[in-house]
Amino acid sequence: MNIVVCVKQVPDTATERKLSSKDNTLDRDAADGVINELCEYAVEEALKIKEAHGGEVTVLTMGPAKATDTIRKALAMGADKAVHLVDDALHGSDALGTSHALAQTLKKIGFDLVILGSESTDARTGVLAAMLAERLGTPQLTLARKVDIDGSAISIERVTDYGYDKVTATLPAVVSVVEKINEPRYPSFKGIMAAKKKPVQTFGVADAEIDTAQVGLASSWSEVTEFAVAPPRAAGTIVKDEGDGGAKAAEFLASKKFI
Amino acid sequence: MDFTLPESAREVRRGVAAICARYDMAYWQRCEEQKRWPEEVWAELAKGGWLGLAVPEEYGGGGQGLLELTVATETLAASGAAGGSAFTYVLTPGFGALTLARHGSAAQKAELLPRLAAGELETCFALTEPDAGSNSLAISTSARRDGDEYVVNGQKIWITGVQRAARMLLVTRTIPAAEARPRTSGLTVFLVDVPQAVAQGRLSYRPIPKMGANTTPSNMVFIDDLRLRATDVVGEVDQGALVLWDVLNPERILLGASALGGAEVALRAAVAYAKEREVFGRPIGANQAIAFPLAQVKAKIELARLMLYKAAWLFDRREPCATEANIAKLTASQAAWEAADHAFQTHGGMAYSLEYPIARLLADARVGRVAPVTEELLLNYLATQVLGLPRSF
Repeated sequence: MNIVVCVKQVPDTATERKLSSKDNTLDRDAADGVINELCEYAVEEALKIKEAHGGEVTVLTMGPAKATDTIRKALAMGADKAVHLVDDALHGSDALGTSHALAQTLKKIGFDLVILGSESTDARTGVLAAMLAERLGTPQLTLARKVDIDGSAISIERVTDYGYDKVTATLPAVVSVVEKINEPRYPSFKGIMAAKKKPVQTFGVADAEIDTAQVGLASSWSEVTEFAVAPPRAAGTIVKDEGDGGAKAAEFLASKKFI
Repeated sequence: MDFTLPESAREVRRGVAAICARYDMAYWQRCEEQKRWPEEVWAELAKGGWLGLAVPEEYGGGGQGLLELTVATETLAASGAAGGSAFTYVLTPGFGALTLARHGSAAQKAELLPRLAAGELETCFALTEPDAGSNSLAISTSARRDGDEYVVNGQKIWITGVQRAARMLLVTRTIPAAEARPRTSGLTVFLVDVPQAVAQGRLSYRPIPKMGANTTPSNMVFIDDLRLRATDVVGEVDQGALVLWDVLNPERILLGASALGGAEVALRAAVAYAKEREVFGRPIGANQAIAFPLAQVKAKIELARLMLYKAAWLFDRREPCATEANIAKLTASQAAWEAADHAFQTHGGMAYSLEYPIARLLADARVGRVAPVTEELLLNYLATQVLGLPRSF
């Protein structure tokens, strides 16, 4: 089975994240880039499916040159090869633009199954899997906490507010996963050293026949018009219990319309 | 001249640090208090191939050398495990894997290296005796030839990790010390199947209560008429000294690396406290009496690290490394002690509280100044072997 995992490099949530004052997009040079956490679960699931059913796992990432670090991380976990979609024309793409670029690339490289994390820690739109499925004309199985494959049939348990839904479809398909699905493996020493020699193919917009009118900052349907640093958290209210603490706490909650 | 660590060593630092990040100071404190082996960390290091770094690839290891083991040991200790965690790397990846990779017979390598690389089989090393510590060539544990076998009798002390070890590298005399010319001849190293020897009643051990590093017991070992085969010899009969140097130099380097990591932990704790603790309206770290000793420790840590890496690099190139290993061990252990001592002073009275990790760091650091070799012996080596000063003994 030909499995493609889409992974994204995001700014490390442990460091201060900034927007660029130049064009109000994320300043990717300001913070250390790390693999988006949910993408690690996607890679792990792809590796498990490969281990159970055979096939090959390809990592696909769209991002600047430094995103190779993220590609190497996924390869170190055990993926076989990678495709890096990198082009200045893609800078500032919104979810629609990104889904067009990735869908075009996926059509080029071919796939039976595409796996993504359900969202990224930077943009958090959580719509990419659905958009990709639509553009590729395949079923979408999103928010999976469990994936089962039997021949060309795929079924997942989709996390809902009330429990889970069982969703089934036929391959090829697009799946997004949540963190409940597995425990991503640490890359082993041998995996890390082997990853340095695994093939990484670089694609530009022309290679993937991406329509430049649909990608990049100028083509985005959404725009950040201004931004401000979040104000520091204000001091909380301390209710002193002088025998009437319960009543005071209830008053406070009522004043905030919690009760 | 290039001081850049090779990529393999940089990956070791990142990989081991990623695992260690899941185990905080409180975890190591608990292991020490409960006198338990850090099973969880051991299992994760084994699974990722971080224990088998120096085992050749054909035996399932990482195909690297002592430099990578040194960086791994330092990283583990610096994560909060501190000096007492040294045995994680010294006993099996060091004593066992590194020694057999270099001196084991083809059969010993094939049987043991894959399991050592996977962390499935553990080892310990027995040299020191009640009457032969610093003067280790004077050991009296004897291996007497009897047909195709050897009969071993003797007593060892401060043998760490016997409880978990499936094999012991046992240093014996096949020629008594008094008759050996030169003194370094007549030593023979054997591989002992520990559980089997215990089951036969030929080997017994008793843990020594100790003030630190309690994640691994250290023992007195008693050997009575233990029969070993010629195929159990590591290296050549009577030529055990050649094996011994390749055990003792890495031991100094790896224990130096764990001391260095321990120094980092103590310095980090001291700096954090000096920034946060306010007396007379300012953080105590603003006082030079606090700041300068910590800055001095930092300088010593960096110097010791350079020498540790150089010693390991020389060992991997199969060049003489005793002088560098001794200097590295000396300076790293001193840096660890000074770091722990100044961390104590910086914490003031609170250092004495077991709520803080200073007591553990202090105990771990102190033993480094006498084990596996005393500071005095290291200085003596430099004085006589490097400076050419006359010997006192």
